[in-house]
Amino acid sequence: MTSVSAWAKDLFATPLAAFLTLASGAFMAWLGWHVLSWFVLQAVWPWQPAGACDVQSGLCWPFLVEKTRLILFGTYPFDLQWRASLASLLLLTLAVLTGFQMIGRARLPVLVFVAIWMAGLTLAVLLLGGGALGLSSVPSVFWNGLPILIFLAIAAIAGAFPVGVLLALARDQQTYPILRRFATIYIEVARGVPMLTVIFVGVFVLPLMLPTGTFIAPVPAVLVALIFFHGAYFAEDLRGGLQSLSVGQREAASSLGLGYWQTTGLVRLPQAITRSLPSLVNSIIGAYKDTSLVVVVGIHDMISTARMSFNDPDWRTQALEAYVFVGLWFFLSCAFLSAIGRRLQMERETDQL
Amino acid sequence: MRLLTFTAVLTVTTIAAGSALAGPVLDEIKANDSLICLVNPNSPGFSVPDSQGVFQGFNTDFCRMAAAAILGDADKADIRGIGFSDSMKTLVARGAHMASRSITATGTRDADVGMAFVATTFYDGQGFMVPASLGVSSATELEGATVCAEDGSTTLLNIADWFGDRGMSYRVENIADKTARLEAFFTGKCDVYASDVSALNSDRLLAEDPAAFMILPEVISAEPLTLVTQPDQELEAAIFWAFQVMLNADKFGITSENIDDVRADLDAQPQSVQRLFAEDGATAEMAAKLGLPQDWAYQVIGQVGSYSEVFERHLGSDTPFNIVLAETQNAPADQGGLMYAFPIR
Repeated sequence: MTSVSAWAKDLFATPLAAFLTLASGAFMAWLGWHVLSWFVLQAVWPWQPAGACDVQSGLCWPFLVEKTRLILFGTYPFDLQWRASLASLLLLTLAVLTGFQMIGRARLPVLVFVAIWMAGLTLAVLLLGGGALGLSSVPSVFWNGLPILIFLAIAAIAGAFPVGVLLALARDQQTYPILRRFATIYIEVARGVPMLTVIFVGVFVLPLMLPTGTFIAPVPAVLVALIFFHGAYFAEDLRGGLQSLSVGQREAASSLGLGYWQTTGLVRLPQAITRSLPSLVNSIIGAYKDTSLVVVVGIHDMISTARMSFNDPDWRTQALEAYVFVGLWFFLSCAFLSAIGRRLQMERETDQL
Repeated sequence: MRLLTFTAVLTVTTIAAGSALAGPVLDEIKANDSLICLVNPNSPGFSVPDSQGVFQGFNTDFCRMAAAAILGDADKADIRGIGFSDSMKTLVARGAHMASRSITATGTRDADVGMAFVATTFYDGQGFMVPASLGVSSATELEGATVCAEDGSTTLLNIADWFGDRGMSYRVENIADKTARLEAFFTGKCDVYASDVSALNSDRLLAEDPAAFMILPEVISAEPLTLVTQPDQELEAAIFWAFQVMLNADKFGITSENIDDVRADLDAQPQSVQRLFAEDGATAEMAAKLGLPQDWAYQVIGQVGSYSEVFERHLGSDTPFNIVLAETQNAPADQGGLMYAFPIR
């Protein structure tokens, strides 16, 4: 009780504090009222007729009922959308499994884990694209919405992580100066140039210099660019971890007779990864959100399918609903990633005690 | 190119002696039994996916027209939504057969290798929308106005021409996102909203009170929106004449609704209609020469409809766009428009 009254006292300690308290309180009330009004009071519920959306200013559920499938899968052939759903589910399972593996709830041997990843990614591409096993072929221009978002994000992060590890090791070692210099230049270039520019150049400008008629397919081009950039970002996160290790670690490993790869793989890297976890998780969330940039080169991720949903002539005033839907998806999936990150850090910290 | 066509024709004659001769692209469409047609993925009224993810709209129907004429089935159009410059590149790289996506035919574009402009399906032009409260009735009175327009488009160049030629000053408010741009205009951040007239009509309806905004009469640029194909004489001819069939159908009031009645009693019809749909009519003769289904003209009208029918279906009075065909440049030539039906004989 004393703490509450102390807290209240703090809020009104000086005239300025009292003013700030009242002002921010009023703002919160105003915001809260609008959110409540939009989500609940003025909302048109799924069982109400769609026409009510023109009259009431709140969330239009009939729109979401009608368009959720379009936002999730875009122009993927309607009767084949089970394949897109299955591929998304598979990729999400891979992501969750990786999370569990990292926080130690699943304990698969590394090789089995890598094999599952390879098989999962291949199967997802096969499900999306077809053209084998009696699945009809679906060109990548139809891979819209959720599946392409998850596929690009997961493939980019999975591809960039090994690249990042190798770059960090190359930049951290002293034996081969050329290798170190190459890694440094690579990382500095990747950090110094905006990714969007490179995607643009790769997809729009590069073909102008190639012979007429050459066409770079956007999906693989974007994947290469994402791996190139995020590899560099991960490398810097890891280098921080590597540098924070004391020289004693390496010397101790050497004195036990461990070679470079054993020292790296068994002693230094595991510790470096633990120490750089906060920034790694940060980079992974960044990489995931960056994936939406692909919309500028004509890949229809969820931002683009959301636009399609409210460009339907019958639903043209529902832009807010569509964007809120996509925003909520990003919020939830990023929250999952942060939760894994936090958990992971706690476990590793207890390990070290 | 000639040589290429010639060799292809030779190959075809040797492989399938007896079947009609066609160009290489047309042959490819028939061999695949599917016509790849590129559209704008996000253009309300012209091409936008419905709730099932299937593209619908005015431009989309010309993809269906081509598939109906060449393959006898409008549903065999493989319609793909791709951004503007990507669709040009895909076409040049032979990754698609045609594009129906509001491309303005211009001299330099037509001079490019790898794409051919075939038939103008929509005459558009850039116009201005203003709040009625601005008290302006002509675009010549816009001295000193703030104009909301999309960055990097020909819209800005046309505005510069219009104001520059008249020595009027203006200010541009660049807003890339369309929703945000319209909102800025509706809330009074700019005096004028510039865009193609076809888009202005539908954009106006997004205002809370559409009557508070008006479209000025001036159309300041010519935008003949035209179908583009891979260069192939026979394919170009097939698509051009399929479009002419749609215009001719309007001339005689034939639509997808009454085409079967017309065909059932063809002898009672004018000679021009008989030439369109009779088994030994001009279209059947063209079919033999171009390698199309014998009843291609019927398939186009039966499955897609006449030009005004398509216009009405996607942009007309039953749609939110509410464009009156007769008031646009897309009216038939004998009603003062630019749509002139070529004779089919």
